[in-house]
Amino acid sequence: MLRGFRSFHPLVLLLYYIAVIAGLMLNQHPIFLTAAFLSIIFVNLILDKGIELNKWKYMIIFLDLFVFVFTPVFNQQGNIVLFELFSRAFYLEAVIQGAMIALTLSGILALFTTFNIVMTPDKFLYLFSKFFPKWALILMLALRFMPLFRKRLADIQDVQEMKGVSMKDGKLRDKAQNGMLFLQILLTYSLEEAMQTADSMSARGYGLQKRSQYKAYRWKSRDWSMLILLFFLSLSTLIGWQSNKTILTLTPELESILLQGYSWFYLLGWFLLISLPIWTEGKEVIKWNFYQREI
Amino acid sequence: MANEKGITVIGVAIFFLLLIFFPKFIIQHYLLISILFIIAILLPSIIRFSRKNMTSREMVMLAVLAAIAGVSRIPFAPLPSVQPTTFVIIASAIALGPQSGLVIGASAALISNMVLGQGPWTPWQMVCWGMAGFIAGLLAKTFFMKRMTWRLIYGFIIGFIFGWVMNMWILFSGFGDLTLETFILLNTQSFYFDLAHALSNVFFLFLFSTIWIKILNRFKEKYGMFQENRKE
Repeated sequence: MLRGFRSFHPLVLLLYYIAVIAGLMLNQHPIFLTAAFLSIIFVNLILDKGIELNKWKYMIIFLDLFVFVFTPVFNQQGNIVLFELFSRAFYLEAVIQGAMIALTLSGILALFTTFNIVMTPDKFLYLFSKFFPKWALILMLALRFMPLFRKRLADIQDVQEMKGVSMKDGKLRDKAQNGMLFLQILLTYSLEEAMQTADSMSARGYGLQKRSQYKAYRWKSRDWSMLILLFFLSLSTLIGWQSNKTILTLTPELESILLQGYSWFYLLGWFLLISLPIWTEGKEVIKWNFYQREI
Repeated sequence: MANEKGITVIGVAIFFLLLIFFPKFIIQHYLLISILFIIAILLPSIIRFSRKNMTSREMVMLAVLAAIAGVSRIPFAPLPSVQPTTFVIIASAIALGPQSGLVIGASAALISNMVLGQGPWTPWQMVCWGMAGFIAGLLAKTFFMKRMTWRLIYGFIIGFIFGWVMNMWILFSGFGDLTLETFILLNTQSFYFDLAHALSNVFFLFLFSTIWIKILNRFKEKYGMFQENRKE
């Protein structure tokens, strides 16, 4: 059984991700973005000890460096010149801008690693089938075909290798041509087979009446409370953005980076919004420790 | 059906009003707006597709082609930046028409990312491959797709456009000023990958497109699928 953050209804989870991604793009302020990035990393750690994030770390670092280095080169708006290189001025504002973009990008990428942990394909398809039932059915079929075709491709490769057709040696041209030949065999083979699948679908009554659905995820009362919490937290973020409290003004004049007054309130709301998984998962961790102590 | 048309007209009107009256918002938030555009491109076709009456054979055929397009990367994994996914989508779109091309392209992107991991690039891939299929399907009956030379040119152009659009999600995340300069810089970074993609499209289309289209057309006829004049 699923517990913690993963056990919420897929729709609630999807809304959480939409809210956080929108927030990451709207709250263009170094402190807000840093808080977001750190809490997303913490979410990663609490969900799967950072295994998934580890796979993506090089891409995140590379993109960050790329953006951070090149933004000041091209962004020529600002008042405070840091230094000059090859008769191009480097502005402090542009450097801050670069850092903010890098933080936004890495925040979004790190968030997507948690998305891949939380929104498993079955939840994803469940949401799809709500909105586009026919397309979701095609996706389900295709998703089942993927491992099957992989196996078939391996078989085809083995058989063809006995005939001397392989992708292991030869020129690039020959390799590519042979690879495509394998795919062509896979195509005719699988299409013939698939017609059987289709006929058995028809034989079981597909298309005769409206399709009924198995409800894998039921809406529980805690989904309501989570939804209401999500609504108010994203509303506070939206209001903060609308009143310019969560944005660092770069031009015409650089604002002080330090937060003042109401900005702290919005920062709290933003932090609470991102760290919803931390509270729900953290509750489970505390429970676990508590029960262990009881024993 | 009048009701549906009304909703479509209102939707289009809202979309254009947003573009006209909130230019400042658009200038500040490329990514948000670009996602809106992606939805605006994909949604009408998907809705039309959902309303179409399809036999189980047609559905399964679309699923098989989407899965082959997704799987086709695997045998080519040792060859750097050679991937026949685009070719599979173009060939099946020429045989099966624009709507099927779009569905195959978008589904191939979605399911291959379900296996490899979703990211912010998923919607971009969906729209790229979906549109590559859609346009190929639209032009299928014209000399563009019937003559080999034009088919190859199409494959070459698609290879580059695909790379450029895929670069855009980085650009739209707010990469400094959105100028031609930054756009070109990003695209020079990926030039060799795009060139490899374009050339492999040309290579596959040249050697295999005729026979693949023939195979698909034969299946279509043999099992009576995707016949245009069928009663809806």
